[in-house]
Amino acid sequence: MTVDVTPAVREFLLAIADDKHLMGQQHAEWIGVTPFLEEDLAFCSIGQDELGHAALLYELLAGDDDAAIDSLAYDRGADDYRSCHLVELATDDWTVAFARHWLFDTADQHRWALVSQSTVSELQDVAARVEREERFHRLHADNMLDVLLADATARDRFVTAVAVLAPLTQGLFEPVAGEAEAVATGVAAGPLAAEWDAFVATIEARIGAVEWGSAPSQAQRTLRSDDWRPLMARMREVIDLDLSATW
Amino acid sequence: MIGLELAVHAAIASVDDPEYPGVSIVDLGLLERLDVTDAGDVRVGLIPTFSGCPALAMIRDDVLEAVDAVDGVGEVEVEWLRSPVWTVDRIGPETRALIGREFTVAVRIGTGAPECPRCGAPTTEESMFGPSRCRSVNRCTACAETVEVMRS
Repeated sequence: MTVDVTPAVREFLLAIADDKHLMGQQHAEWIGVTPFLEEDLAFCSIGQDELGHAALLYELLAGDDDAAIDSLAYDRGADDYRSCHLVELATDDWTVAFARHWLFDTADQHRWALVSQSTVSELQDVAARVEREERFHRLHADNMLDVLLADATARDRFVTAVAVLAPLTQGLFEPVAGEAEAVATGVAAGPLAAEWDAFVATIEARIGAVEWGSAPSQAQRTLRSDDWRPLMARMREVIDLDLSATW
Repeated sequence: MIGLELAVHAAIASVDDPEYPGVSIVDLGLLERLDVTDAGDVRVGLIPTFSGCPALAMIRDDVLEAVDAVDGVGEVEVEWLRSPVWTVDRIGPETRALIGREFTVAVRIGTGAPECPRCGAPTTEESMFGPSRCRSVNRCTACAETVEVMRS
């Protein structure tokens, strides 16, 4: 089923979908190499959820045709993706990966709250499904955070990781192309930037004051970071082996 | 038409969840809607347990094949619905007992500790995430059995 939305609103929804898609891929790349088994299972499951949520949104925009969904997910030019730089960031540090999971899923909760009563009824359905799964993500992050913050060394490493991610996290809340129209037409209840203060309060209640720095230059998410291209190359690795193959 | 609808329902019920061979997707509560027209055209609406479940395409294909094989059936359409959201409440008591017995999988009902399918004692959570999207991993407090817990 395809939703009938304006091109501007489509851009807005793509931002959510692309964030989920790339976040799912990033989590998936930790399978087999996380520091311990429980986190391996967690990142595997959480990553699959994120990919599933991205697929639900791509399906709303591209219809039931699997090839059209794949094309939307994998075949756009760099300028046409709407991911934020936080989810594009490459890291081989699990503390950074875990901190990103916590920051992203906390921010994501705010974003879905904005579309849970959307004038696009299909989005309400997707939001309800997403929230049911996301609460496990947040519960997982919170439980692990309790463990990390109780240990001085782990706490230091975690806070340092958040500091690395803080400027990029701001980028997630910046206005995206189409957001104004999405808000004006009731697709979203308000701009994501309006949720920033509440988000910061949640984060700082756990780890104290954060130096958020300044957001990266994303130009309403039309600019990709340096890490995007190699990430997309990994995501497309099998497709690119034989572009004429039928899947 | 009632006869055909029953036959189609039986065909759908013959499809097992790939995670639980021998357990019907109907008994797991995945079937939400079944429409059979006078012409014999069939529309099946299924709901997934978790949206990232990798078995979705396989289940849809299995249902399509099973319904197609029913005498008198015309066009068949199988779709995954976005709502309602699946919950473990959709699994009946007999099916809960079956997957407990066959797979050592408990179903989390309410907020209490899931019971060990082997000895009935309470279990405690070892890992919030498990081998598939819909299962966490618990351990029995009495017999120490590892128990997977299906949740929603």
